[in-house]
Amino acid sequence: MRREAKGLKSERRGFSLPAKVSAFLPVLTVLVALILLGYPLALLFGLPLALRDMRDLRKWEKATVTAQPPQRLNGTTLTFKNPAEDGVLVRDNIPVDTPYTVSGDTVTLQAEPSTPLVTWGETPTPVSETIYRYDGDLPDPPTLYVGGTLAVGGATPVAETPDDVRVSFAFSGATGPILLDDEVLSAGADYTVQGDTITFAEAPSFGGELRRVSGDYAVLNDDTVVFAAPPSGEVRVAESVVRLAERLSGEADGTNQRFTLLQTPVVETEPYDVYVDDTPLPSDDERPEERVDGERATFTFGSDEGIVTVEGVPQTEGETYTRDGSVVTFTEPPARNAQLRGYPGAFVTDFQTGEVMLARAPPAGATVWTDAYTVYAQPGCGGDVIACFLALPQHPVPFPHWIAARIGPFFNKFPLNDERNIVRAVLYTAAGTLSALGLGAAVGTLLAVLFVTVRPLERALLPWLVASQTVPIIALVPVLLLVLGNVGITIQTSLLPTALIGAYIAFFPVVVGTVKGLRSVDPLALDLMKSYAATPTQLFTKVRFPAAVPFLFTSLKLAAAAALVGALVAETESNNRRGLGFQILGQVQSGNVADVWILLLISALLGIGLVALVGLLQRVIAPWERS
Amino acid sequence: MTAQLQAQSRSRTEDGAQPVISGRDLSMVYRARAGETVALQNATLTVAPGEFVSLIGPSGCGKTTLLRLIADLIQPTSGELRVAGKSPKEARESREYGYVFQAPVLYEWRTVVKNVMLPLEIMRFPKAERQERAERLLKLVGLQDFGRRYPFQLSGGMQQRVSIARALAFDPKLLLMDEPFGALDEITREAMNDELLRIWQETHKTVVFVTHSISEAVFLSSRIVVMTPRPGKIERVIDVDLPYPRDESVRQSRRFFELTTEVRDALKGMH
Repeated sequence: MRREAKGLKSERRGFSLPAKVSAFLPVLTVLVALILLGYPLALLFGLPLALRDMRDLRKWEKATVTAQPPQRLNGTTLTFKNPAEDGVLVRDNIPVDTPYTVSGDTVTLQAEPSTPLVTWGETPTPVSETIYRYDGDLPDPPTLYVGGTLAVGGATPVAETPDDVRVSFAFSGATGPILLDDEVLSAGADYTVQGDTITFAEAPSFGGELRRVSGDYAVLNDDTVVFAAPPSGEVRVAESVVRLAERLSGEADGTNQRFTLLQTPVVETEPYDVYVDDTPLPSDDERPEERVDGERATFTFGSDEGIVTVEGVPQTEGETYTRDGSVVTFTEPPARNAQLRGYPGAFVTDFQTGEVMLARAPPAGATVWTDAYTVYAQPGCGGDVIACFLALPQHPVPFPHWIAARIGPFFNKFPLNDERNIVRAVLYTAAGTLSALGLGAAVGTLLAVLFVTVRPLERALLPWLVASQTVPIIALVPVLLLVLGNVGITIQTSLLPTALIGAYIAFFPVVVGTVKGLRSVDPLALDLMKSYAATPTQLFTKVRFPAAVPFLFTSLKLAAAAALVGALVAETESNNRRGLGFQILGQVQSGNVADVWILLLISALLGIGLVALVGLLQRVIAPWERS
Repeated sequence: MTAQLQAQSRSRTEDGAQPVISGRDLSMVYRARAGETVALQNATLTVAPGEFVSLIGPSGCGKTTLLRLIADLIQPTSGELRVAGKSPKEARESREYGYVFQAPVLYEWRTVVKNVMLPLEIMRFPKAERQERAERLLKLVGLQDFGRRYPFQLSGGMQQRVSIARALAFDPKLLLMDEPFGALDEITREAMNDELLRIWQETHKTVVFVTHSISEAVFLSSRIVVMTPRPGKIERVIDVDLPYPRDESVRQSRRFFELTTEVRDALKGMH
């Protein structure tokens, strides 16, 4: 009867492919799945991160940070960079009293100012072609004019920190002279330039400050500046310059304490320097002298006035607290460790809308302004969500072609004589997995034979075998490695730990499958053996074993996959530098997502290969199995 | 003519001094929680050397049980049984019989020739002899060209022929066959019947043959043991006086029809 059933099964049904194609089917499937799934998954997991980056105002790009001084003095017309629509003209933090209008980059004064817009300091004296010394302290920041035109200062620090060893450094976006601890180095003698890379004759000393001039000039110290190129005209330093600052909207009628910054959202959490006419308000916040212990209600601040906040929420005097000079008494004690602050000048109550609350209402008709204005033009990652997606520093699922582009560098990362070379790692893991599989198969088969011949043994041991598989391997590995390490066996030096750990999870399916296989013998086949008066040994070797072979191979395929997992986990041991497990752990820790994906692919391919190897072995050993 | 045929038949049944099978009052009772099942009750049967005896009857009449008792695959609850002059266990251990099951029971991991050689391996025949016998027997069953095939590559009839060759491999005097052609279609079955008769005559074996088919029993046997169920017992023994060798013309003969009717009546419990 069994034979008939088998006979029917041999009649293949359904769609089938030519043998040559179906051999590559697993690989093809993986590739197609990767391409079909890779792109949608990359977007699915990446776009939320991109949106998060876009919404995070702190990551937005600042278009303008400070009010720019005018570039040109031309009668009553001044040219600014990015002026605020409703600005306030100030000089030395005092609003200019002359009326004016702003249009585009141009500010037009309606009358000649009563005082000159720029007051000049000393003219610096040239020390060399590019280095100038100022007689006295330079204003901070210095405003330099070359031949009547504003010069832009700036120096870019190097990305890498000097460490006494490194001689090559990369600069980006700077082309001027190289500065080391405010010393100007000479090209050719001290360093050579190749693109963005500077190679020094002598490694800069540890912790040295390495900069490269990126603007027209850079300040070396308080009285010396260095120009990127010899200046083309007379160099002058302005001591006081007219700037365009930001006027806060809101009417100063003698009672209003709330004003709004023009350029919102306000991203900076730093306190703004707020001016009322020509007087700056104190910008520091104050902490109470006493600890906030949840019981105390009275606290002492440094100033006699100001806004009091609890956990960033401004409190109303007379309602939640009363003030007696610098002593503030709450009606209810603030919660233990609550953040208590006093703002004697002004407090930004709402960063999104840019609302500023002043401690005291400015007098009617006063100008309320800040000396800087900030425009947040767009998210730092780009103008749209796709740009932000592409700019993500790490993609949870990289696009397949990005992964593909990493394959070349990835394989060439380490030379063949380095144990971290990927080919060597794959071979090492394959060797570990095969040892584990061999060991697991041997132990599993032995146990299965024992169980089938001595039934009570199965009843006694099988529950424990099941239990052994519920122990998380990740918990077992360190213990086993510690034990083996004590006798000098490490993964670095021996395949034994990998084999043991892999076998630990590989043997189980072999036991279950082989027991089932040994019991799968047709009862008539056993009767037949009995009619031949076969010995128990003959029964095992001639019937039970061969009958179990197909089951054994099915188990071995499962076991191969399990052994690979075991080997990979074993290789994550901290001192080990060999095998795919080490590579995966390393790339995960250093956040190279694309490389992790390549390694996962390689591991998957290795798994497929090992299972295929078992299949090949089956075809050689058990050709009667048509599967 | 009839007397002559009967004499021929008798001569086949009575010439051996010692019967191959001699069972007396054989009973087999299966005990289960639900109660006792009497599979076989007081069966008495003697089979002489060279006989072809068929056991026929509906399901549950104990014919397979009787065969398995002879083969020592099970032991009788009561009664006496001697096989080849020994106890069934001794007979089995000295490999007195070859057993053919309803299914071919070929070992799927062995090629056809290796399946035939299996009993010889177990009985530790020398390798050259194993080879020689397997080839000869495959030729006997007409499968000399299929030795290297695996069982799954053979049709059901071919598989059953391999099974017969295997039972003959170690040359047992007795062949026990349990509905060997039960699963085959009528056409294949008749061809197999012809072949079996040819083999039986060539090898001079004693055959005990279990079947459902009346015409098969009449065509093959020298004696038919008709059994009835509940409890399984031997109803009647009918001598078949058709002359050997038998061919297609026997199936058309009047005597064949009469014997068929006789067996059918016996099966219905009519005497």
